[in-house]
Formats: sequence, C-alpha cells, structure tokens
Amino acid sequence: MLATVLARLAQMIFVMFGISVLVFLIFFATPGSDPAARIAGRNAAPETVEQIRREFGFDRSLPVQYAVMMKRLFVTRDLTSFVNRGQKVIPQVLDAVPATLSLVAGAAVLWVIGSLFVGVVAAAMRDTVVDRGLMILSLIGISMPVFWLGEVMNLLSQSRFHDTWLFSWVPGLGYVPLSESVGGWFKALVIPWITLAVLYIGIYGRILRANLIEAYSEDYIRTARAKGLSPTRIMLRHALRTSLLPFVTMFGLDFGALVGGAALLTEVVFGLNGVGRLTFHALQNLDLPVILATVIYASFFVVAANAVVDMLYAVIDPRVRK
Amino acid sequence: MSLPADSNQAAASPVAARHLAAVSARGPWALAFRRLRRNRSAVASVVVLLIVVLLTLLAPVYADYLGVDPFRSNLRGQIEIGGEAVAVMQQSTTGLGLGVTPIGPTWNPAGYMLGADNQGRDVAARLLYGGRNSLLIAGAATAICLVLATLVGIVAGFLGGVVDMVLSRILDVLWAFPVYLLAISLSIVLLTSTIDLGIVTITAGSLALPIFIIGIIYVPYVARPVRARVLTLRQSEFVLAAVGLGLPTQRILRHDILPNLMPTIIVFVPILLALAIVTESALSYLSIGVQPPDASWGTIIQDGQSLLYSRPAVALAPGIAIVITVLALNVLGDAVRDALDPRGQVR
Amino acid sequence: MTKWTRRASLTGAAALLSATAISASAQSRDEMMAAHRGGEIRLVAAAAGGTIDPHINYTLQYWQLFYFLYDGLVTFKRVGGAGAGEVVPDLAEAMPEVSADGLTYTFKLRNGLKFSDGSDVGVDDVVASFQRIFKVSGPTAGTFYNGIVGAEACITSPADCTLDGGISGDRSTNTVTITLTAPDPEFLFKIAVPHASVLPADAPLQDAGVTPIPGTGPYMFESYNPNESLMMVRNPNFTEWSVDAQPDGYADSIVFDFGLTAEAQVTAVQNGQADWMFDQPPTDRLSEIGTQNAEQVHVNTLTAFWYAPLNVNLPPFDDVRVRQAVNYAVDRDALVGIFGGPVLAQPVCTILPPEFPGHADHCDYTLNPGTEWSAPDMDKALALVAESGTAGQKVTIVVDDTSVMRDVGTYLQSLLTDLGYDASVNSISGNIQFTYIQNTNNQVQMSVSQWYQDYPAASNFLNVLLSCASFHPGSDASVNISGYCNPDIDARMQAAMQLATTDPDAANADWAKIDQDMMADAPMVPLFTPKHVDFVSARLGNFLFSPQHQWLMSQSWVQ
Repeated sequence: MLATVLARLAQMIFVMFGISVLVFLIFFATPGSDPAARIAGRNAAPETVEQIRREFGFDRSLPVQYAVMMKRLFVTRDLTSFVNRGQKVIPQVLDAVPATLSLVAGAAVLWVIGSLFVGVVAAAMRDTVVDRGLMILSLIGISMPVFWLGEVMNLLSQSRFHDTWLFSWVPGLGYVPLSESVGGWFKALVIPWITLAVLYIGIYGRILRANLIEAYSEDYIRTARAKGLSPTRIMLRHALRTSLLPFVTMFGLDFGALVGGAALLTEVVFGLNGVGRLTFHALQNLDLPVILATVIYASFFVVAANAVVDMLYAVIDPRVRK
Repeated sequence: MSLPADSNQAAASPVAARHLAAVSARGPWALAFRRLRRNRSAVASVVVLLIVVLLTLLAPVYADYLGVDPFRSNLRGQIEIGGEAVAVMQQSTTGLGLGVTPIGPTWNPAGYMLGADNQGRDVAARLLYGGRNSLLIAGAATAICLVLATLVGIVAGFLGGVVDMVLSRILDVLWAFPVYLLAISLSIVLLTSTIDLGIVTITAGSLALPIFIIGIIYVPYVARPVRARVLTLRQSEFVLAAVGLGLPTQRILRHDILPNLMPTIIVFVPILLALAIVTESALSYLSIGVQPPDASWGTIIQDGQSLLYSRPAVALAPGIAIVITVLALNVLGDAVRDALDPRGQVR
Repeated sequence: MTKWTRRASLTGAAALLSATAISASAQSRDEMMAAHRGGEIRLVAAAAGGTIDPHINYTLQYWQLFYFLYDGLVTFKRVGGAGAGEVVPDLAEAMPEVSADGLTYTFKLRNGLKFSDGSDVGVDDVVASFQRIFKVSGPTAGTFYNGIVGAEACITSPADCTLDGGISGDRSTNTVTITLTAPDPEFLFKIAVPHASVLPADAPLQDAGVTPIPGTGPYMFESYNPNESLMMVRNPNFTEWSVDAQPDGYADSIVFDFGLTAEAQVTAVQNGQADWMFDQPPTDRLSEIGTQNAEQVHVNTLTAFWYAPLNVNLPPFDDVRVRQAVNYAVDRDALVGIFGGPVLAQPVCTILPPEFPGHADHCDYTLNPGTEWSAPDMDKALALVAESGTAGQKVTIVVDDTSVMRDVGTYLQSLLTDLGYDASVNSISGNIQFTYIQNTNNQVQMSVSQWYQDYPAASNFLNVLLSCASFHPGSDASVNISGYCNPDIDARMQAAMQLATTDPDAANADWAKIDQDMMADAPMVPLFTPKHVDFVSARLGNFLFSPQHQWLMSQSWVQ
C-alpha cells in the first residue's frame, strides 16, 4: 500500500515537473513575452528597461531562471507576481481555493444527481418520449458554451428580471465566504452552480444512459431478470454498478481539472475570485509566476483525482483486478 | 458467475458466433448497414445531416442572391424595408444618443433574415459559411480524437503495467496542460513565422491547427473511459476464453475488444462534436484557426456575445444550428450502435 | 500614453462639464460637507491595476486614486473642468521662486504637516522621494525627471543615486532647492503628477508592491489584495491645508472591488451595488444606459486619439502612395460608429487632437480637402494603389483583443481587401500587443493603437510618436511604431521646442505646420478622438471631472 502511494507521488512529481518545464519553455518561446518592457512601463527610457531586466534576472540563462523560480516557489516561497508586484504567488493561490472549491463541489453535487436522474430515467424508459426529451435537453446543455450560458443567466437574473419575484433574491455577483454567511454563500453560488453543472449533466447523462443500455444486454442482467428480480433492483443494484465505471472515470478527470482552475470562464462571468479567474488573468497578462503556480496546482489535482479513480475501479467492478 | 457450470459455454459462444459471422456471405458490417436502413429515425437523421451539409455548401449561392458579401464590413450600408431605406447600423436616438446597434432580424430571406453583426454583415449568410468551417474542424478533430483515444485506451488498458502507467501520466500532463497558454503563444509565433512540420506547413489561418489541438486535448477525456472499459473487458469470460484458446493478441483486440468498445466510443461522437465546436470558438478568439472576417459557428457565437443585451439572435442562431446537427448525429449514433450490436435485437 | 496607462492630461483642454458640477456650486462647501459627509463609495473594475507604489504605478486606474492619497510639492487644482490645468502649491507653501536663468526652483514647505503614520513631513522626505524615483527605476525616471542635475548618473546606476547638485534641502529654513540642466517650461507639470509624490524618507527603496506607503492626502490605503479589493479609509492625521490643492473628502471610506466583467459592472451600477465602474461600458450597453440611466452617465472629452501606425520600412507601406491611399480610404464615420457614435467620438485627420495646443483644423485625406473630414475618397485611394503597383501584396493588421479594437481591425481588414490587398487581421492579448507592435523584429506592417496626452504640448504627440529619437529598432520600447524618421522634420521639431520657451503661440503655429507635413508623409492613419464615459450610481452626487484627475472621487458624495 505504502509502495503504491509512494509510486503515485513520484509520478505526480514527474507530471508537475513536465508541465512546469513545458509552460516555461512556451512562455519564453513567445515573441513579445519579455516581461522587462511591460514591467518598466510605457515609453520608459531604454536604460530603465535594461535596469529592470537585470533586476528581475531576465538576462540570465533559461535553466538558471527556471531553477531560481522553482526555488522561490517551493523553497523560499517568496515568488511574486510580475503584474501585481509584491504579491506573493502562494498565498494568492491559497486565497483563491475556497471560492473554487465551493463552486466546483456544489456544481458536482448537482451534476452527479442530475446526470444519474437523466441517465437512469432515460435508460429505463428507453425510446419513449421521455427518453427522447431528456436526450434533446442534455445535448442542448452540451451545445451551450458556458461563457454564453453564464452571461445569459446574468442577463436574466441580474438585469432583465432582477426586480421581479423570480430573481429578486439574487445577490450581486461575487463570492461570499462560507464563514461570513451561510445563506449568502448559498445564494451567491446557486446560479453559478447550475451554469457549470448543465454541461456535465448533459455529458454524463448521455454516457450513463448508453452504458446502462449496454449493461442490459449483458448476460448477468439477463440472468438476474430470469431470476425474477424487480426491474428497480436490477437497475440500481446490477446495471448501474458496472455502468458507473466510465462515469466515475470522467468525474475524476473533470472534478480534478475544475478544482485545479479549469472553471475559469464560469468564475470570470460570475466574478468569483477563484483559482480559475486567477489563471485567466495570469494568462491574459502572461504573468509567468502565477501561471506556473496555478498550473502546478492544477496538475496536482488532476493526478490526485485520477489516482483516486483508479483505486475506485476495484471497488465498483470486482472484475477489474490486476 | 452464479452459474459456474454454464459460464464456459456462455463465454465461448460469442467468439464462436462472431467467427461464424465472419465466414458467412454477408459480413457483420453489411448486416449492420441493412439494419440501419430499416431504422426510420436513422434515415431521418441522415437526411437532416445531409440538409445541413447541403445548406452550408450552398452558402455562396445564398450570398450571391443577397448581393452582400458576408465577409465585408458594411458599417454604412442601408437596406430597404417596406419601401423605406433603413441603416444597417442604427444610431441610438433616445436619451443621450449613445451607442450604435446593428439591425435586428427581419425574418425576410431577402436580407438580414437573422439581423446583422457588429460589422453590419448578414448573420444568416455567415451562418451558412460558418457551418463549413465548424463541421470540418469539429468533424476532423472528433475523428482524430477518437482514433488516438481508442488506441491509447486499448494499449494502456490491455497491456497494463509500466506501459499503462507511462501512458496514463502522459494523459495527465495533457489534461492538466494550459491549452490557452499554448494557443496564445502559437498565435503570436505564427504572426511572424510559419511552422514547418515536414508534411504540412502551418500558418496562422490554417485550419489544421485547431483540428489538431482540439483532437489532442480531448484524448484523455475519451481514452480514460475506454481504458476503464478495456480493464473490464479483459477480465470478461469471452476474452479470457480467447486468451485461453491461445488466439494472437492482435486478433483478440480486433475481434473481441474493439467491437465491444464501439458503444462507449459512439456515444462520444455527438458530445465531442459539440465540445469541439465550442472549443474552436475559444481558439479562434485567440487568433488560432478561423480568422476574421471568415466565420464559424463558434466565432459567430463570440460575435453575438458582445451583442447579447441588444441582439441576442446573433448568438442564438449558431447555437440552434449546433444543436440540430449534434442531435441528428446523436440519433444516428444510437442507431449505428444498435445495428452493430449482435445482441441488440434481444431486449 | 496608451490605453493601459492613459492618464489625466496635464493642463486644460476644454472639458464638457457635467450638469451636476455646475449646480453644486450653489451651496457653500461647508453646508455640503455637513449634509453629505460620510458613507462608503464602492468602485468596481475588472482587474486590479498592479502595484500601489505611487512612484511606479503608471495606470489611470490608480493615478485617479493617488491624487487623493498623496501630495507633491505642487499639484493640479482640484476642480472640475479646465481650471484644473492650473498648478497650485500643495506641500509647498507657495509657488516656487524660479531663478532668472530658469534653472533653479526653490520651494518652502508648509509647517505641521504629517504623514498618515503620524510622522512629520520634512525636507528630508522630499529629497529622499526624488532620489527614490530613480532608485526604484520609476517608469518616467528617464523621460520626465532626467532634466534634474545628476539624473543621468541616477538612471545608469540607480542604487547609488544622490542627485548631488540637483536637489538639496535646508532643514533650518524648511526649503528645498531643485536645479535643472536646462530650462524646462513643463517642469512644474512633471512634478505635479503622482510620480513625484512626497513619501516618508524611510519608504522602501524598491517597488512597495501591495504594501501601502504612508501618504498625506485625506485618504490612505488600508489593505490591498489584487484578487479582491483595495480599501481606502480616512487619514486620521489629515487636516485640510488648502481647498485648491487637497480638499477634504466626503465619503468616510472608498472600496475598490476587482473581478467583474464590464457587462457585470454596468449591471452592478444599475442595481445600486456599485457607485462607479472603472472600465468603459461595453458598446452593447451604451444605448441602454444612455436611455434608461441618462442622469447617471457623464461624457467628457479626452485629448487623445486612436490611430493606425503604418510601418514605413516594410512593404507595401514603404511606398508613400500606399500610406496616403489608406488615409483616403478609411471611413472615419464608420469607425466612430464602432466606438459608439458621434456623441462618443469625433473623426480626425491630424495627429494633434482637437483643442490641443498646436492643433489646427486641417484635412487632406477626404473627399473635399479642407478643414475637416467629410467622407472617404475611394477613387483616389484606388488610383494611388494602382500607381504604386502593390495591389495583391499580403498585409497583416495586429490589434489587441478588446472588442472595439477587434472591430476596428476587422473593418480595416475589409477596407484593405477592397483596396486590393491580401489582408488579414490578428488579435493578440492586450497586454502584449503594445510592446509587440513596437519591436521591429516582429515585422508588424500595420496595427491599431491609442495615445493619450502626457503633456499639454504638441511635442508630446509629434515628438514622442514620430521622432527619430523614439525609434529603437529591435527593442520592445520603441514608441515610434511607424519607424518614421525624417531628419528635416526632426530639426523643425527641435526648433519648435526651443521656440516654445520664448513664444509659445508661434511655436504652436509651427507645430500645426509640422503636423500637416508629417501627414503628407502619412506614417499613420489618425482615426478618431474618443470621449470618456463615467457611469455612476443614482445615489452618487457632485460628480466633477477634469482632464487632469478625471473623476474627482474625493469630491463626490453618496449620502
């Protein structure tokens, strides 16, 4: 067990290292990315630009710059942003975690419940109007870009119908910490949760339905039927169990990535100060220290989530054993 | 498993059945095709898809009929509505007179049926042209993604061990990689230079770029469920039986694993297509792929995004086109799956 | 100055005063203070503006705040409108005594002033602050303050900066003396901006970043998290010493929240969740707020212009006929429409904006050449392109990724296609675009950019944007984007700058000629002069605007 965990940790470090090197190289391969002139300010004298270049160490070789940056990120922990100078990167990321975690966890609850409902009902009522209707809805969900849906939600709840009974409870955009007010936290996040969850309800619902239908044609289900078990019991106890394998796999991928900051457009549209928005601004400004920190942070969650999923395989489907 | 005595027979039979089918006069694919033709909703979905493709191919004809080039800015243009000349870009005349709003949908195919965008161009005509790029990019990206993901998923899942570990971690790197950074970087690199890959030379407006980027970034998303499915299949009775019979691995993969993966893969087709169209819009926003004034459904949604409060139809129209296409593909996918499934008739 | 660092102008260009500004003067200031003092002003922006070090930050976003947190020896009068162009004594008791040769300025400091941390403001702080401008490599160190004796040594070796012979303080008389290497009619303007704020002598000798430095204004920074908000509260050690220089503020605190998109900012102001939005309202919402919230919208003139630099060293724009052709062809009215209509922008043909010193109404590149632009002349443009034989060549236009900029780029792409070129438009992230288009290594043929005045002097547009001295091939800091270098015109600009010290009017007449002669060479396409929109909440009163400070935040109330 310990060996497995250690092996996973080693692999995790490999993934983080790989990504950080890639990001670093891409950054410096980009023409115009040289931060010196941007830090110096507009119409700065060439001498001032040179001064900044030396001060920030941009005149040193790339491996040295990489090593210095990693040292400042992990060892001395005093790496600061290029844009909001003086702001340390690590507290910046840590401060952003609660908002992202609240957004993604809430949305995940919604999309797991929603997609289980959609998948099970559609599979159970296969080829009926209900099934078709649910599939059309889920495809509409998949086809709506989240930035568009988020803006439409804002248009309806903050602007057009803000003064009606329907949306008068919706607070202004932004995150309310859970410690400050539970009710405020909930109200501020309801609409972002729904917006983020819609896409995944669509995808997972479709996948689950297909897998359930697939499972129904397998021998053990037929055996179970022949034994006269109730349809509900067959669905929930037998078919659903094996069908959850791809479901759980994708959940691991999506949850890991979203907690790592992939919900950037949702966070930007709803003004939530989470890791995603941090990543978004860092990318827009080509703020290398923050990009590196967020990317390494994100890769941690991606690898961790996949490790958990791999362990769950054996629990869900006893056939998967090595 | 509850009937151990029968399990051997049950496991052996699909293998035998498939081998029988292979030698019969009509192959399984031909059989599937015949089943498909009998499925009415499958035929309907094919017709819908054909209409969508046909309409996009007829885009130049429509633009010709309109007499307005959908790739030219028409900020000072006028059209005739009910005998009156109306400006395409309408200056606000109320209050402080701030803002210029493009003309809304006229619902008249003779011009600006779906209104104009920020450049005063006909959204309906751009929608037809945009469909070509979107369908091409999304279609090709989906195909690349599925092929790669299936390959990786099968190899990782079936071989296991170190191969699985290495492939899985590469997928992790891919999944955690900030694609936007790559896109921002590429768009700037391509401004001054072209990337020569030997076979193809990639320039800023090259559609190969979004196709490959989208095709690759979603590989983990499909490969991991495929791998999970392969892990299950590898332990299933008929594969164990095939291994027990000493059949070559390649043959097992092709005859026993791959066909059973088809349902898992097919369900991804419409999902990936929709995701690809949306992702393409983000990439073209970062100047990768479809470049202005050219259009795709994704870029029209982006254009419409900045008109959401005044002209919501601009973003809505391509969205509806995407839904129709994806829906038709979904129905077709289900039908293909049913047709391919040898056990599909037994319910 | 570009969009990202646009800032208040240094002297008076006529401003359109908002109605509230005029009605406010009916009541006496004491009455108003009694009636409206208190409350919190809530500001909102999409993102933070970087460091809060007043010697380094060069963004409009924070300059607007610095005016109410920090003071220099002198400052711009805190009034709305053109009157704000006047320089008044601030920490100095009176305007400085200037020596006959124009080289030495002597300031007498006021007594009894304190920083927000309670320490006294003395001559040592002033001297240290001027040294600090160089020690922290301030952005304008080499462009604004290089005229002080000893500045050149400070620029090359900031750590050892003493400004020896350039600045000295006398504790016994409480005076500070500044010596210049050459007379500079604009020197007082330069030390009236936040980059010359007086900070405590013990302020850190590096970018203070997110840590507040004590100041002297009515407010002080309390806390700053660039991902969340910037808090400002009353400075407990502030007592009003001059209403002209630094009047007390109405609100008790000011909070600047970050992270809402421009769309969301408009909605937040409409719903009364914010009192003012920093970003310009998206064009999509202009008609809506101009109609439904007309009283909350303030439109003011800026001395600035949008322009398209044409790279005179790259084909096809190395042919003057092509550059002229583009100038003839651009439909400025169409671009004004993209920006929001004639209320928000005005077509231009000259480099110097209307109402700016040296500007004379003139337009060659229009259907009927004369004083103003009327309509594009496509026939002439096409003829010039045909003459040049360059049709069919590839042209790439580089714009940034803001919505208006993309639309301008797309329009220009369409236009160049009409002129017969194989044109394409590329948008890149706004924070990179400005440095990217400057560097000659990137081979940018055509781009779109903006320039906002630094100085109320013609040289700030013509000499900065188009002189040989501001062209640095291969550098990211080469603000002469066109790469235009004309020795004759350079000599004339030098002469005009000399003339300005003795006869400003004659100099301005020369500048007008230089502007016209430059445009005959057409190194750029002037597009339009933009106006600034301030959208404020219904409860916000006494909105004042000046070209120097923009919105005078401390003079508005919310209750």
